[in-house]
Amino acid sequence: MPDFARAQLRRQRINFALFLGPALVLLAVFFVAPVIIDVVLAFTDMGRTLAVGKFTLENFERMVTRDTRLLGALGITFIFVVTTLGVFNVTFALLLALVTTAVPQRLGAFFRAVWLLPRMSPSVVYALLWLWVVDPNERGLLNQIVVHVFDMPPIDLRNNHPLLVIILANGFIGASLGMLIFTSAIRSIPEHLFHAARVDGAGSLAIVRHVTLPALRWPISYMTIHQSLSLLVSFEYILLITGGGPFYDTTVFSLYAYRRAFESGEYAYGAALSLILVVIGVVAALALWRLMDMKRLLQPPRIEVH
Amino acid sequence: MNWKHARSGMVAGLLLCAATASALADDVVIKVWSRADRSGPLRAGNIVAAGDTLNKMLAAAGSEKRVKIELNETNAKGYDDDALDLLKAFAVDKGPDIFVLAHEWTGAFAEAGYAQNLEDHISKNPELYGDIIVPLWQSVSYKGARYGVPQDSEVRMYFLNNDKLRKLGKTDKEIAALPAKVDAGEFTAYDLCDLAGQAVQKGVVKYGILHRPNAGPDFQMLMESFGLVPYDKDAAKLQASKAALKDFFTWVKYCVDKKALSATNTSMSWDAIEQASFGKEEALVFFHGVWRVTDQTKAWNLKGKDDYQRKITWINAPAGKKGGKPTNLSHPIAYAVSAKSKNKELAAYIVALASQPIPNMRHSVTTNHTPINYGGQSMPEVVDKGWALVAATPMLKYASFMPNHPKIGQYNAVIFKGIQGVETGRLTAQAAADFVADELGNELGKDVVIKN
Repeated sequence: MPDFARAQLRRQRINFALFLGPALVLLAVFFVAPVIIDVVLAFTDMGRTLAVGKFTLENFERMVTRDTRLLGALGITFIFVVTTLGVFNVTFALLLALVTTAVPQRLGAFFRAVWLLPRMSPSVVYALLWLWVVDPNERGLLNQIVVHVFDMPPIDLRNNHPLLVIILANGFIGASLGMLIFTSAIRSIPEHLFHAARVDGAGSLAIVRHVTLPALRWPISYMTIHQSLSLLVSFEYILLITGGGPFYDTTVFSLYAYRRAFESGEYAYGAALSLILVVIGVVAALALWRLMDMKRLLQPPRIEVH
Repeated sequence: MNWKHARSGMVAGLLLCAATASALADDVVIKVWSRADRSGPLRAGNIVAAGDTLNKMLAAAGSEKRVKIELNETNAKGYDDDALDLLKAFAVDKGPDIFVLAHEWTGAFAEAGYAQNLEDHISKNPELYGDIIVPLWQSVSYKGARYGVPQDSEVRMYFLNNDKLRKLGKTDKEIAALPAKVDAGEFTAYDLCDLAGQAVQKGVVKYGILHRPNAGPDFQMLMESFGLVPYDKDAAKLQASKAALKDFFTWVKYCVDKKALSATNTSMSWDAIEQASFGKEEALVFFHGVWRVTDQTKAWNLKGKDDYQRKITWINAPAGKKGGKPTNLSHPIAYAVSAKSKNKELAAYIVALASQPIPNMRHSVTTNHTPINYGGQSMPEVVDKGWALVAATPMLKYASFMPNHPKIGQYNAVIFKGIQGVETGRLTAQAAADFVADELGNELGKDVVIKN
């Protein structure tokens, strides 16, 4: 091999290590390693002392034969993910994007910023605000309205409708991401299409239906997949607001796994439960990918519009 | 910077390191792990003070050696969470030399090889340990050996607000007769809920009975009133009887239906419960332990025993049935020495110093926990400031300890979930009994025996 070719190859390798290296290390340490550790742990008997005594299938046997809470946790997770996603993270986000792009630009930007505020505040602060909103006493924000405006007795949402509380809390914060993505997608629709539609006599709703929505197909598909996976594993606000309760009413699967691992000290069992969550996540992602025909999104465009 | 400067800087740095190292060479560092607990700051404080005492002795002996106590106060929300954190710390070799634990965790730490067997040390030093109240040793014994030193003890009780009872139409004579009626088995757990429920329904108070909002030892005495004994000594296993569980949860459901127990109790914070029980006086009955006398005295600005007793009445947990026995529970906190420590012997002697009557009495009178030494009970300060401890001691006649089983913490957590399920209307009595039986089997596997 001539010298310059060898030098070029070396340079390529150095560039590869330089540019892709950090990303690969990051992936390996934070994404690949935890999955491998989780898989290994799931087949051990690691308990409170973190000691591994033997490799075993007992965790999975327990899941199938003894764990009476498992199905309940799965059911709650399903309701939580589908409702939060369907009502807030996609539909409400879309509504926000449509409305804030229809009003004058500055006003739209202002409202989007308001909706982004919860994202900017620390989760504990956001959760504390919710705790105050749904406080069962008359001092709670919601109850101040219920009691003084509607003249009704105070309500206790956290105890009587805990699932609703966690869906609202997750939804209001979750809608902002979709709002941003959809807004930028709407902005990228060529202006002349709107003018043309107007000339053809289309009303505002018809424009949304026939011009805007078709252009949002891919962003909506992407948000659906991304947010369902994200909701599947998130329990931060649930832990802070209801603690998974009352009883097990808001214990979603990921929180259930966390509880078993870190509150009962059954680390191996928690790892086995998390492994199930990984499997559910992968299956859901593949199914949605197929269902929404995401493959087409990644194909090179056949026509280029200038 | 030129080379000369750099070199002189380096030399100075090395000298500084050497000087620090030689200064540190004579310091023996003893690490202490203790949960930061408002109801007992001297648990760790007495260990620090013991270090100071020891250092004075060393100085007097002309020794250069000093003991340095490094205190790590954790913010776990309860002793069970703290124990889990500590087990993790030990597992990664970050354990302390001395740790403070709830006595029922002794078994778990002994089993894991983290708690030092102190049998030898204690029996060789009768002059340091000989005054400790003998039955208390049972709480830190595991498989026939002592793995810890009791730090305090206590009495648990229902606190009844006399002013609210008077509002309910009870005479002072009736109120004064109540504790004896409970002890005689005439006033049952059901009667208590009738009384508390009545107070809520008549609008005298917002809450009938308030109890702790999280899992903990308190509920064991209530269950024992219904014949639920959590431990089978002979088999050395935890146990639960389905029939007794059903009886217990039937009572809980009864109290919920009577409005004596509130659906929100288990979702309230400790602060909210304390405010409702003391400051705002929204509860007829508060269920906890004698150390709460400190908070109550402060909240109502009570002056001494008579003033206190005009305001509050104590009762044991009443029997489940008429003619039955009341129950109580003593839940000692203990010191343990790490079996992994390089300075086990020294750490054990520091624990011994901290357990002497004077420092232990200071903890007792400032926080209203009963002393661990026979001598402590008769000290003028205990008799004077600790009147509540003297007054509560007779209640210990009905007390038991929690079983010293490594998984009792999980057992308690399951029972608590059952109580929460019934209180919040998620479970019926039967469903709660089934849930607890299932869940105990599920979580504890071979460590528990479920009986019919």
